[in-house]
Amino acid sequence: MIEFSHVWKQYHKPDWALSDVSFAVAAGEMVFITGPSGSGKSTILRLMTRECPPTDGRILIEGMDIRRIPSAKIYVLRRTMGVVFQDFRLLAERRVFDNVAVPLRVLGLPSKDVKRKVFLALRMVGLHHRIWNTPAGLSYGEQQRVAIARAVVNNPRLLLADEPTGNLDPDLASEIIALFREINRQGTTVVICTHDREIVRKFAGRVLALREGRMRERGTAP
Amino acid sequence: MNGRKIGRAFRDAGGHLRRGKPRHAVSFAVLVLSFLMAGLFLSLSNNLRSRARILSRDVAVVVYLSPSATAAERRTIEDRVRLSPLVASVRTVTPEEAGDRFLKEFPDLRDVLENLGRNPLPASIEAILRDPAGPDAPIDRMIDGLRRLPGVEDIQFNRRWSDRVRALGRLSDAVGVVVGGLLILMSIAVVSGAVRLNILSRHEEISILHLVGATNGYIRGPFLLEGLILGVAGGTVAAGLVLLAARLFPLYLGHSLGALQDLIGFEPLSLLQAAGLVAGGGLAGLLGSLAALGRVFRS
Repeated sequence: MIEFSHVWKQYHKPDWALSDVSFAVAAGEMVFITGPSGSGKSTILRLMTRECPPTDGRILIEGMDIRRIPSAKIYVLRRTMGVVFQDFRLLAERRVFDNVAVPLRVLGLPSKDVKRKVFLALRMVGLHHRIWNTPAGLSYGEQQRVAIARAVVNNPRLLLADEPTGNLDPDLASEIIALFREINRQGTTVVICTHDREIVRKFAGRVLALREGRMRERGTAP
Repeated sequence: MNGRKIGRAFRDAGGHLRRGKPRHAVSFAVLVLSFLMAGLFLSLSNNLRSRARILSRDVAVVVYLSPSATAAERRTIEDRVRLSPLVASVRTVTPEEAGDRFLKEFPDLRDVLENLGRNPLPASIEAILRDPAGPDAPIDRMIDGLRRLPGVEDIQFNRRWSDRVRALGRLSDAVGVVVGGLLILMSIAVVSGAVRLNILSRHEEISILHLVGATNGYIRGPFLLEGLILGVAGGTVAAGLVLLAARLFPLYLGHSLGALQDLIGFEPLSLLQAAGLVAGGGLAGLLGSLAALGRVFRS
């Protein structure tokens, strides 16, 4: 599903954000990438979504070498994945429905299909009763659930999450990770970047630890 | 792009316009002003051109005959005029006809003419030109040739007025192009600024759209439409205002200009010219949007 092979990334000389990082994630896996702030976790996600190209090395996502994808075709790669952020990145002036519908409208789906899929995604995250609210009327936990609904609404094969529990208290964080686990059980490959080792310890899954841009340990949480 | 996507792009563009009302009000006003100025000069040129056309209808080379000219000399002059390829028709005017025409045009001067005791107006041969706006040189050559004939007292070529009016029309065109052009450039810059601010204010939404796999066309389309709608609306309002000016000017201001009323006036734009203003507005809006998108997405 995902293969990083001797990947290097440099934003500004002389510092390296990633140094010779290699790992693979199989289809259907749930993987945590952990490490302190500045260790390169977000860079890995930005490389996967091709927000930026690697300085060196090879990245394959579903067999596509993402360096070879022309800029005008990156949307094809991104339609195969959903992304969740620490700060939710919801559109404040739009209703929950419209926020979750964004990826479906981009695909040009008929309105009937959009309504059905949005409702199903919101029901999965337990927020179908909040469909006409605006994000401002929701708690942080609910906002993150809306962001997750938006990420999975078009059934992506890969779900990426960047510090999805960073703004949440421990109980809410556990609920959100449990939601990711449920999504993973349904067959979606999930990659979660987090600095919260407690969360990682609670949930079974492969762990890739980063420190100063290098992969330090690989293991499986109990 | 299918119908649903086009509909979505128009809805989004409408939303952008609603949310950016104050910015777009300024862009709209500048667009209207720019195309109104261009339209007014065009309308003024239309008026001058049609005045020049009316004057051109009376353009003639008038050969005044000497009172001592013999019948043979008159025939020679008339034949020479009639045979010229530049001349469409020839009209001979007797002194009596010239007197009648004088009295018709200047009835107040009847006393003056009667007090003279005799008709001072000479007979003349009027050559109506085939092409009243044709080049000067062949006409000058014909006049020089006629002037050398015995029996010719004087020759007048009354094209100067229509030439001047036509030149005024060209001047109005040039001023319209320069002033309108500068204002239109300014309006492109203002639209570009407004759309750019709109893009920047929607930066978060754009980044989300990129991440969920929106194509560049999907993201940029509504911003392009935003400029296009603004421009078309600005051009349409400007064309309407020019029409209004053409209708109202003679009623309210025209009379105060006295003899100049014929020259300084606005003639309604033709359908093609009005469509040109609307299309020009759309183009200016589109260029403004394109410039904004180019700047923002490059950076």
